This record gives sequence, structure tokens and C-alpha cells, in this order.
Amino acid sequence: MSVLARWGVRVAGAVFVLWAAATLTFFGLRLIPGDPAQAILGGPGSQASAEALAAVRAEYGLDQPVWVQYARYLGRLVTGDLGSSYSLRTPVVEVIGAQIGGTLLLAALSLAVAWIIALGLALWSTRGGRVAAAVGSGLEIVAAAVPHFWLAIVLVLVFSTTLRWLPAVSTKGPEGLVLPVLTLALPLAGFLGQVMRESVLDALEAPFVLSARARGESEGGVRLRHVLRHGALPGIALSGWAFGWLISGAVVVETIFARPGLGRTLLNAVQLRDVPLVIGVVLVVAVGYVLMTVLTDAATRVADPRLRLRGAV
Amino acid sequence: MRSQQIAPPPSHTRQVVTVSSRSLTLAALATASALLLAGCTAGGEAEEPQAAGTPVEGGTLTYATGFGEATCLDPHVGGNMPQALVGTNVLESLFSQDENGEIVPWLATGSTVSDDGLTVDVALRSDVTFTDGTPFDAEAVVANIEHMKDPDTASSTAILALGKVASVQAVDAQTARFTLSEPDSALQESLAQTWLAMESPAGLARGMDENCAAPIGTGPFVFSEWVKQDHVTLTRNDDYASAPAGAAHDGPAYLDEIVWRFIPDPATRFAALQSGEVDVIDEMQPDNVVAATAEGSGFGVLTGALPGASIRLELNSGYAPFDDERVRKAFIKAADVNPGIESLFFGTVDRSYSVLSSSTPYGASFESEYTVDADEANRLLDEAGWTSRDAEGYRVKDGQRLTVDFPVSTNQSIPAEVSLFEQIQATTKAVGFDVELHPLDLSSWYAALGSWDFGVTSAIYTKNSPDVLRILYHSDNIQPAPSGYHPNHSHVSIPELDAALTEAGETSDPEKRAELYEEAQRILAEGAYVLPLYDHLQKIGYSDRVQGLSLLPTLQIPYFGDTWMAG
Repeated sequence: MSVLARWGVRVAGAVFVLWAAATLTFFGLRLIPGDPAQAILGGPGSQASAEALAAVRAEYGLDQPVWVQYARYLGRLVTGDLGSSYSLRTPVVEVIGAQIGGTLLLAALSLAVAWIIALGLALWSTRGGRVAAAVGSGLEIVAAAVPHFWLAIVLVLVFSTTLRWLPAVSTKGPEGLVLPVLTLALPLAGFLGQVMRESVLDALEAPFVLSARARGESEGGVRLRHVLRHGALPGIALSGWAFGWLISGAVVVETIFARPGLGRTLLNAVQLRDVPLVIGVVLVVAVGYVLMTVLTDAATRVADPRLRLRGAV
Repeated sequence: MRSQQIAPPPSHTRQVVTVSSRSLTLAALATASALLLAGCTAGGEAEEPQAAGTPVEGGTLTYATGFGEATCLDPHVGGNMPQALVGTNVLESLFSQDENGEIVPWLATGSTVSDDGLTVDVALRSDVTFTDGTPFDAEAVVANIEHMKDPDTASSTAILALGKVASVQAVDAQTARFTLSEPDSALQESLAQTWLAMESPAGLARGMDENCAAPIGTGPFVFSEWVKQDHVTLTRNDDYASAPAGAAHDGPAYLDEIVWRFIPDPATRFAALQSGEVDVIDEMQPDNVVAATAEGSGFGVLTGALPGASIRLELNSGYAPFDDERVRKAFIKAADVNPGIESLFFGTVDRSYSVLSSSTPYGASFESEYTVDADEANRLLDEAGWTSRDAEGYRVKDGQRLTVDFPVSTNQSIPAEVSLFEQIQATTKAVGFDVELHPLDLSSWYAALGSWDFGVTSAIYTKNSPDVLRILYHSDNIQPAPSGYHPNHSHVSIPELDAALTEAGETSDPEKRAELYEEAQRILAEGAYVLPLYDHLQKIGYSDRVQGLSLLPTLQIPYFGDTWMAG
């Protein structure tokens, strides 16, 4: 029963998050200037006729009071209908379906690479004394502070223009993913590394490490079997947050590296005041965020048996 | 600077086309044509430097555009630069323009205008077929014009250009008759633009969704694939036989296909060109132009002034403070433009003193109206009553600071241009102007303009005819279109100007047109409504593997019908 209740709260929370995302986006888009009817008729500056504008407003219900539009929109959302993109004249579901794969691949690879770098750096820098600790901590702070667009341009200049090892723009092959993934992974590795190193340091002073060492386990064994798990815990907790952060980074990365994806779709849609498409993308990201939170919770339980025990009480 | 990071050049060097040395003294039409010959290379003539050697058949060329991705590939729908760029090698028009700006036939063979100017018979080629097999004939022309004028098509550029066309009918298979509501000296110029290109009637009949995805034309290439946010593929039309006047060869293109990519970031676009991932790029930044034109760089740059209005500041004369001519004059006298253009654009553009771009016929230059004179500016401001200054040095009148709002479209203005605006802000501050720059995205920028919420702004307008002056400065166009857009941002309303523009738009006598357009431009210059800055340049960078590339003079768009890949 307590498990059911917990899931009930969780589902209600998820629904609330989705509703809030849809609502904030809906009204937020109305606060910035620009006319959706214009977007439908070829973008701002086009000299659409009064008849054409009126026809479009009627067709899309834009002539209705905003609350009516909002109610209709929510009504459609509940039935799973995201509507049709104004600017692309295509169902939003189709647009997202065509673009989501690239972004998920980018985000997942970036998260994985960030984890590998962060854990590697945390384990290494807590082993080599004060200098290594300072170097590790310094690298993490710098990496975490680097803006995506700057890092992307530097990587392109070094690896594409000068060394010619990797393509500057996205290609079908895996080599086109390297620079975009590094652009997203390096700053994230900085964030994750900072918390992981703290937690590794805590773990190294914990009694169970002392007892493991007393049993004669090697330093590597201690780190792999006991410390790693502790170091990873805050990283797992942060990964849900990191997912949302990666999606927002994808806006920049997909634009600079000319990759198709949700980030670029969102940017174009906002600029064109394409309300259904913006809300569609925001909802998909919100769903992804909720799912990631559930997954990270589950992963934390797997990694930390104490939580499972507590949950059973 | 990135120019230092260019990899070693390929084994042979090449001549490149540069524009920095050209003169911009615009004695109207003559200079414009000379400039076009020097700056761009219409149709790939024999003297074209990159047309040396024997053409090689086959190969794929990758083009990277920074103009953005069209939401619909049919340029009848809406009508903007991304559509014209990708459509120009697929869709062809009734007329074309030579490097002098003269109208020449293309899919049409000629036209006859009735004495009253209200009937235009356009004679058509009989040997042209759309790539879907539909014959090109007068019925096809009728179907196209009706498609552009149909409100459901949601055309903006084409429908505006056809404003004086009441109806079109097929007299016989090879003659289309345009019936006009009033004479239109710009009709053939309008019909030469890609936005009014001819498409297969059978293609149009498929409905908007399908036609937007792959419009069917008569050009050297065919739309074959469109992966959104990634690329459009154009494949060769093997039956092509209607090359435009000035093309280096008739018959099918040499290239097998063109991959048209969308790379919004200018630094990445240039990096992709440098690393050989793409072969041709547009929208080059000034520093990249310098790097690519350096001898031995392995790259070349084609430039051409986009026809229509030059890049200019429009002073909103309908509202304070620029409703006072003395204040407008003071602003123009105080704005020191030339040093900024020289330093920020690395010598890649020249100062313009004309409202019309150098590639547009009938441009008139009034350099003396734009000399910098801070003393005169101060005198004019004193005279206009802006006598006191506040603590920050800005002029004040009746407790109001001399503030000029300047919305800047971040989508349209490149960084160098924004820096130029900042220099204008700094130089006008010296005489007491408080110019406030507001960087805005395109929708917000249009909204600010639509509500007249600006003192000065910079807008682009591309049209291959001096009739652009009527669109931008006739008092009719102060009234907003239903969309809220009014092209007359300067809020100019002068009966003599209106009369000159209207008459110029109706007369087909070149001397009379030249006289009227000069008169119109004189009124604009003397009334200090506009501050011309420089030509809006098309800047196309290419790897020297690319041979036989040229710009079609109509809209300065790259033409790939003569292009081949060397090595």
C-alpha cells in the first residue's frame, strides 16, 4: 500500500510537471511580441492580406479569447493530440518523431562520456596526493564554467580546421558525433566530477574502507568494490538534472554543428512563434525529465542497498 | 584571427575575385554595370577566372547556406531568400536580367506592350518541358500566375509584385496575355525573380503540402530529397535545354547532384569549407572573406551587390524627435560612418551614398548630403531647441532627453554591422544624441517596427528593380498591410515624391525613368530621411575544386548549371 501511495504521489507530480510546462509555455509565448498568424503565413514581414490572416486565425482558433484557446489546447493534450506545427505544416508528433532520435543519442552519449571522465578524474585525483587533488579540482571548475558555444568553436578550430581529424559539421558516420558529444560532455563532467570527488573523499575515510584495507584488499580493489559505489551516488542523483541541462545545451550544439534535432527545432519554433511545436518539444523534454528522475531514483536504490532496506521498513 | 589557421594550400594557386578595389562613384546605370562585371561574374563568360579548363562531368557539390531553411520549397508561398537560393537552380522564370540590369528573355522569347501600357503579350518558348513531362505553355503561365495570386497560396513577394496584374489568359499555346490595372514598368523585372518562377501545373495541382516538399520546374536540377534541418538534395535534369542568357553552355548540368546543407553558424560554415566538408558557402563574415581571398588560400570569393535597397539607416520622420528635419540632418551630419566601415569590414565593402544598391539601375549618389560636420550638427540641434545638456552630456528639451530608439534585428545584422551601429551611436553621442540600441529577434523587431516604436532602424529589402523606391518611400506604404508591416519605415509622405515614384513606375521610357528616380532620390537625400551605409553583398566562398560558378544577376544567386568539380 505504501508503495502504491508513493507511486500515486509520483504520477500526480509528473502530471503536475507536464501541466505546468504546457501552461507556462502557452502563456510565455504570448508575452513576447510576434503574431502566430504571421508565422503561418510565411513569417514576420510577409505582406499577407487581411483575408488570409482572418482565414488563418479562424482555422487555428486564434480569433478566440486566450482562455478558450488554452482550454481547447489542454483538451487536445489530454487526448494526446499535440496539433500541427504552424511553420512546418506538419503534425507536431511527426516533427518530434523525426528529430528526437538525434538529440537522445547526443544526450545519452554525452552523459556516458561525462560519467567516464568525471569518475576517472575523481578516482585519479583522490589518489595522488595534494597536487593531483588540486589539478583535478581545477580542471573540474574550469570545465564546468566553459560555455558550450565557446567550447564548440574552439574544438572545431583545433580538431577540424587545424588538425583535420574530425568533421566540423555533423555527418552520417560516428565521427560527426565526437565534437558535439565532447562539447556537451566536458562541462557536465566538470559538474559531476566536483560532487563525485567530494563523495569519494568521504568514502575513503569511512570505516568500511578501513576494514576492507585491514582485510588486505588492494588499493584498486578498495576503490572499485567499495569507493566507486559511493562516488557514483551523487552522480546518479545529478543525472536526472543533467538530462534537462543536456537538452538545453543541445540547442547550442545542434545549431553550431548543424545537427538535426529537438534543440534546433525548438530554437526555430520559438523564433517563428510556432506555439504548438514549442509546447510539443517542451512537453517531450518534460516527460524525458520525469522519466530520468524515476530512473535515477531506481538506479540509486540499486547502487545503495541501505535505501532498499529503509524502503522495506 | 582564424585566417591564420588555414591549412596549406593545394598544389596550384588560383586567381580570386575581389571587390575591395572597386570604385563606388555611382553615375547611375553605367557604374552599376561596370561594378557588376568586376564584382560578380554573370553567366560564366570566357574571362571568368574560374572557368578555365575542360568541364568534368559528374560529382556531387555540397553547398552550405547560412540563410536558413525554407519552411516550403515553393517560392510562390511566402517568398524569401532561403527559397530563392535553393530554388534558383530548379525553377526558371519567364525573364532574366543581364549584368547591366537589362531584362532578357528566358522561358519567354519576348514581350509586346500595348500603347496604353495595359496589355502585355508574353511570347513563350515552345521547346521546354517541366521535369515531370508537363509541357511549358501559355496555360502553364496562367496556372502559375493564378497560383501566386490565390490567397490560399499565402504568397507575399509574388503577390506584391503582381499588384498591377488584373488577369492573365492564354491567347494561344505560345502567348500569355497579362491584363494590367495600370501600366507597370517593373513587370518584366518582377517576373525575372525566382519568387515568380514557373512551376509545373500538374505539380501545383498536387496541393500545397506536396508542392512545398518538391516543386517541379524546368531548371538544370530537380528537387529529389529533403531531410528537414539537415539537407535538400538536387539531382541533375538530364533533359535540360533552357539555360539563361549569359550561361557558359546550354544543355544538362555537369554535376550529378548538389547537396544543400543548412549550417546556421558562420564560424562552423567557414570551418566546414576549410576542412573540405563543403564546397561552397554563403553569408561569409568579413574576416573570412579576407582569409579566403588571400593568395594561395585555396579558396575564392564571389561577391555581388544584392539588388534593391542598400544597407541604410531609416529615420522615422513620423514621430519625435526625427519629425524635425533639423534633428534628422543633425543626426546624419554627426554620424561618422566611413572609419567604421573601413575597420570593421576589413575592406570587403565600400561606403554607399545611394539608397539603391549598386546593382540596381537608376541609383543616384548624393555624397555631399552625407559629409560629416559636427559643428553643423550642433548648430542644427541648437536651432531646433535642444539647447541644454544633462549630466551625461545628452541634449535635453522641455525635460526630455534626445533619445533615439534603435531596434536591431539580430537575425539580419551581422556582428560587424552591429559594431558599425555602435560606432554611429558613439559619434552621434558627441553632439548629444542618446541612441539606444535594442537587439531583438526577428519577430520582436518586426513588432517594434509595426508599432512605429523606433527612432531609427536598418531594414533590408531585395528587389531587382528601382521600383523598390516606391515600395519603401511612397506614402501609401505608411499604411500598414493587414499583417502590420509597413515598408515605408521612414514615414516619408511628400506629394512630389509620391508623384515621381508613381510616374516612374508607369513609364517605360528609360530617360524619363532615370530623371524621375533621380528626383525621388534627391528628395530623400535632401530631406535627411535615410543614411545609406553600404551595399548588401552576397558573399559566396568556394573551394578551388569548384569551377565555373557564377551569380545570376537577377538576385545575385549562385548558378550551378555551368559548374563542375575539378580533381
